[in-house]
Amino acid sequence: MKSNIYNWFFLILRRDLLLAFRRSSTYITPLIFFLIVISFFPIALSPDQDFLRSLAPGVIWIAALLSSLLAIETIFSEDFRDGTLDEFFISNDPSFVLVFAKVLCHWFVTGFPILLASIISALILYLPLSSLLPMICSLILGTFFMSLLGAIGAALSLGKSAILSAIIVLPFSIPTLLMGTAAVASAIDYQDFSGFLLIMGAMLAIGIPGLCLLTVEAILLNYE
Amino acid sequence: MNKMWNYIKDWFIEMGSPPLFFKWSSKILPWLMLVTFVVFILGLAWGLFYSPTDYKQGDVYRIIYIHVPSAILGQSIFMFMAVCGFITMVWRVKISGMLLKSAAPIGASFTLLALLTGSIWGKPTWGTWWVWDARLTSTLILFFIYAAIIGLHSSIDNKSRADRAISILSIVGIAIIPIIKKSVDWWQTLHQPSTFTLTSAPSMTPDMYQPLLVCVLGFYLVFALLLTMNLRAEVVAREKNRSWVSKQLLNVDK
Repeated sequence: MKSNIYNWFFLILRRDLLLAFRRSSTYITPLIFFLIVISFFPIALSPDQDFLRSLAPGVIWIAALLSSLLAIETIFSEDFRDGTLDEFFISNDPSFVLVFAKVLCHWFVTGFPILLASIISALILYLPLSSLLPMICSLILGTFFMSLLGAIGAALSLGKSAILSAIIVLPFSIPTLLMGTAAVASAIDYQDFSGFLLIMGAMLAIGIPGLCLLTVEAILLNYE
Repeated sequence: MNKMWNYIKDWFIEMGSPPLFFKWSSKILPWLMLVTFVVFILGLAWGLFYSPTDYKQGDVYRIIYIHVPSAILGQSIFMFMAVCGFITMVWRVKISGMLLKSAAPIGASFTLLALLTGSIWGKPTWGTWWVWDARLTSTLILFFIYAAIIGLHSSIDNKSRADRAISILSIVGIAIIPIIKKSVDWWQTLHQPSTFTLTSAPSMTPDMYQPLLVCVLGFYLVFALLLTMNLRAEVVAREKNRSWVSKQLLNVDK
């Protein structure tokens, strides 16, 4: 028999992805939200090309943060409500893997569409092509970190309002926001951007075990 | 060594049991009040009236005697909360969760005080209420994190569960606050040259520095005093149906 953890991991991942894709709103909503927020900036501020180009990294990153948090409370709440989460925790399989699979699924469903939409928004905000690569790399790392943070926020505010988990998570997302915008902005100025990506990768490397374990603790609070 | 550790742990847990804590804290509270009052007044009076006037800023700089201690307190209270959170998570000591809960509003107030006094100080010296300086920004974010912790606690009805929830949050916070500080510093150097630094007074003389130290000590004592009072209120509120509360507070046997 092959390692049980992997079976368990892929089982949950497949189940969650299937659930998400059966309901198209889960991956369409963040995408549309992202594009709407992006398109509001030229409308509200100015359609001037140079101005928008200087604004673009920040705009794209703020929109990405907000839209990745948009559906975060659904990551555990549905399973919690119908009792599936109880079954997961009763089973002998490691709950750490469960949380990681759920975070990964959430990233596939929200982070990945945002990634595609960010390419479109880079065009409409006149970002130079050279900054496309750091933007995508930083978004991959950053939205995954946001999914991890969002999971802990969602677990702590399970059964509460969605705005609460946003308030919990947003202050902690500042490093991601700064590093992400700095990476794109330095690519626009033809500077070295790898340092910012490395820091984001390091944060992710610490965040995956650390935040997943704390998320497990946070979910267990609801079963006392 | 192990025996010693167990002994210390047991002693702390015993001292932290609500009835015992209530008893010994009522004994030390008057003394704590007295010491706090003396040190606080001494520090502030020394700083505000007897320290030399700054040659560049004039008397305006004296706000430093409130601003700097409250900024220091805002950060060290968060560290204190993270330690409490760790103890709550690992050993499930009830009182440390209550400590964490009672410290949060005090820390938030000191951070807010640091922000307010900073902007009052900024107006005459920098000519503006607010600058997006690295330290100002990270203090503002620290305040947001305090707000998130307080908001989370008040949203959960079961108080001991709420304590554990905010202990998780404070642990995440203590891990991420250094990263926030560093990244904000980077952001500063990347986007604009730092025009202002908070220590506008050129290298302080001992005459200015000594009262500042006393003020910092005084603010720590104020924190200890407020924390004790907050914690006593919290303990009584949570254990109001227990017989020791009515015995202690009302002198009646239930």
